[in-house]
Amino acid sequence: MEQFDVAIIGGGSAGLSALKKLSDLNKSAILIEAGNGIGTKNVSGGILYSKNDSQGKIYNVEDVFGSDFSANAPVERLIKRYLLHATSKNKIFTIDMTRLHDYKTNFAYSVLLNRLTPWFAELATESAERHGGGIVTGVHVSDIQWIDNKTIVSTNELEEFEVKSIIAADGINSEVAQITSARGKFTPEEVYFGVKVIIKLPEKIIEERFHLDSSEGSAHLFAGDVTLNHIGGGFLYTNRETLSLGAVYHYNSLLSNPVTPTQLIDELIKNPLISEYIKDEVTLRNGNDGLSKEDQLKIHLGVSKLLKTYNELRDKYFSSNNTKLVESGKFKNLDEVKSKIDSIKHDLNEKFGIQFVNNYVELEYSAKLIPDGKRCMMKRPYFKNILFIGDAAGRGIFIGPKIEGLNVGIDDAVRASIAISRSIESNNFDSDYLGNYYESLVNESPYTREMNSIDENYLNLFLESVEDIPMGVIDPSLSFGLQFIKNKFLRGICLRLANSFGSRRVLPLIESEKTYVQIPIRLANKLGDTVHSTFVPSIPTLADRIANLQYDDDSESHIIVNNKKSEFMRKLILLCPTKCYSLEGNDVVLQHEGCVECGSCSIGTIWKHPKGEKGIKYRYG
Amino acid sequence: MKQDLLNVAVIIKLEPDFSEGNVSYNSDGTLNRAETKNILGPHSAVACNAAFYCKVRYGAHVSVGTMGPPIAESALKQAQILSDAEELNLYSDRMFAGADTLATAEVLKNGVEKMFGGNKSDIVFSGHRASDGETGQTGPQTAWKLGYTFLGNVIDFEIDLDRKAVVAKRMISLQGMDTIIEEIESPLPVFITIDPSYKSNFNTVSQRLTANNFGKEARKHSESSGQYLKVYDGKKLELDPRMVGLPGSPTIVYKVEKIPRAKANRKAEIVDPSNPDNLAQVTEKITEISRG
Repeated sequence: MEQFDVAIIGGGSAGLSALKKLSDLNKSAILIEAGNGIGTKNVSGGILYSKNDSQGKIYNVEDVFGSDFSANAPVERLIKRYLLHATSKNKIFTIDMTRLHDYKTNFAYSVLLNRLTPWFAELATESAERHGGGIVTGVHVSDIQWIDNKTIVSTNELEEFEVKSIIAADGINSEVAQITSARGKFTPEEVYFGVKVIIKLPEKIIEERFHLDSSEGSAHLFAGDVTLNHIGGGFLYTNRETLSLGAVYHYNSLLSNPVTPTQLIDELIKNPLISEYIKDEVTLRNGNDGLSKEDQLKIHLGVSKLLKTYNELRDKYFSSNNTKLVESGKFKNLDEVKSKIDSIKHDLNEKFGIQFVNNYVELEYSAKLIPDGKRCMMKRPYFKNILFIGDAAGRGIFIGPKIEGLNVGIDDAVRASIAISRSIESNNFDSDYLGNYYESLVNESPYTREMNSIDENYLNLFLESVEDIPMGVIDPSLSFGLQFIKNKFLRGICLRLANSFGSRRVLPLIESEKTYVQIPIRLANKLGDTVHSTFVPSIPTLADRIANLQYDDDSESHIIVNNKKSEFMRKLILLCPTKCYSLEGNDVVLQHEGCVECGSCSIGTIWKHPKGEKGIKYRYG
Repeated sequence: MKQDLLNVAVIIKLEPDFSEGNVSYNSDGTLNRAETKNILGPHSAVACNAAFYCKVRYGAHVSVGTMGPPIAESALKQAQILSDAEELNLYSDRMFAGADTLATAEVLKNGVEKMFGGNKSDIVFSGHRASDGETGQTGPQTAWKLGYTFLGNVIDFEIDLDRKAVVAKRMISLQGMDTIIEEIESPLPVFITIDPSYKSNFNTVSQRLTANNFGKEARKHSESSGQYLKVYDGKKLELDPRMVGLPGSPTIVYKVEKIPRAKANRKAEIVDPSNPDNLAQVTEKITEISRG
């Protein structure tokens, strides 16, 4: 049987950081990823932070992947503005939260994980290969057993192998956690549910529309009527040549008032501010119903090639390196490129009846559960010789407009690597030695402190961000509270009290429909500007969105429903983002094809990831 | 790992890319080859994967060859990315133009014999068929000309290096019969046409890591694919002009006909669903059929 010192299970940003760090500590490690290639199963909201804290060390992405991270990594845009928009129909009131965003922040980039994690993998592999390690993709870990002091890992695809320690980086629906019973499944009370679409928009148009310099970006949060009365909100992040538009809601709030996840996204798209943000000129094909099938096919194929040329040239023209078109010698100057685009456009219209209209282009639909660390982080993030990191350990920061996960996972990964490196050197993998040490390292992390207590300076900045808002507009009860904590002395008492109770108990009290829905609506109605949309976006149906995704469906289902009649499963008929559940008689039945593996049904099912290479293959993430 | 115990040849083909947006048609509906993008044929790609497996598992020496115009070099480069080949061979000459499968096989046979510095190849892989030809004859004809044992429809194989033999699984599908998987053993050398369902079976962590390393090397090598390339014309291949190109092609295309639509073996009757009386007819029919 093959033997390895460390197996990292899961090739997301946390797992890859662990592989890189362990290798840089001169230890040999292998990483096992179920997806068909790195990045195909990774989804995030889309901002990666690098942070600092005067009270403790934070291990950042640049500590793991090099100080030249900003220059070399395939990140999208450096986030320079952070705005919160309160919405009520076509009224929008915007609060600038950039100072909150900048608080303890070295930098923050919008990212698309299927671009970023393969880059992480390349660097991690380079280091790992020096010590006989590396990455194995398309392999699904099915079991872990301890036999005669040996830790044996079984997979669906490979022969069993032995390891001395494991890092579980297999995400919020960690199967390692279930196999070992290291923790129970997260309850709807402990998690948020996110759904996202990637929208195509040419680079130069993004910069002009969002008033951004090249490579700079902005982040926009939305609360108010767009939430459809749920606790949470929408977000829109500018990427290089796409936008990430998503909705994130407390899962309990969705269960008490179920709607389809597409409704949550569609509600955002229909908001006039957002529809103006995402607007682009798109082509509209005419039907050729009167023609023979052969002629229709000929036109279809002819148009396809011309359309492809048109779109490619237009994207290049609107990109930051559009001068390459001229440098290549194909065009004399950019004006000539523009006339070429116009001439193809004319041909498409005249010869094939293609129309050019205002609409928007969706590239990918995705969904994910997100751990609310203050509610669900593992107190003891280990089991025997297994260390849990990132989402798998339930670690993520959710405090008002502060949503951080990727950076927390990277910090955990370094701490786990340090602990395992120490164990390898002393050849001691006992949980008392390895696990306890890892726990102490995690407890030293400023992120753990953030999940446990409220930071007074952050609260001050929040109050400063909203201090110009006339209190009379806000709900009287909350207005009283805000006035109360505006007094520094009283605020100090409140915070000490709150922190002695633990933010785990106190913060959820503030997370209410009042704060996420009613107050934003009042703000927008009373103080907001009116925004008009110049077009009605034609929103794809769920079937279209699913058809646009790439899958390798497994003939065998990776999910088994526990109780086909349970109330929870009935709610999944609406809440499953790809409508995998339906009602047959009194039973909720599953059709697993089309599943995006978000785990929203996990608590009511026996839930596993699909076998290696099977299931969803995200192209953006 | 034992090094260079096996010489593995792959013959490939440059084919039109039939994916949407890449195909151009003439006004009469025929393929406009000059305007259509060309790629390594999908079946050739599977053959390259099989050669790569031999490289990772048995330390094979891989050589890829193709007959085609100079632009076929791009297919060889793509084949190198998949197979990490040490040799790329382009058989290109105007005298090869108009070749049918037999004349092509003549060129490929001489090409394969020139691989590995004239040493014999142990296995020759080819795709099952070409996406623009579909006859699937070039492989078997080349095998016949080389005098190698021919194994078609191979979905899996292992090599016994000590006994110099191959154990292969072949998927046999005959109309009206169940698909069977036949396991056969043959001494080397063999000519294998690989089935499109073939998938390399690397079943330990170490094999996967080795495959990754070779894959990375392959990508690196392909960046300077020119230095691995040898171009042969008819003279260099010592070919008889009567056996290649149009003169060497006994096939005469008499006429091209559209494929006739297969006769439906099910009877269909269209019923207007808005009229409830018609639905009663449907129920009646179903009852009738279910009674047998």
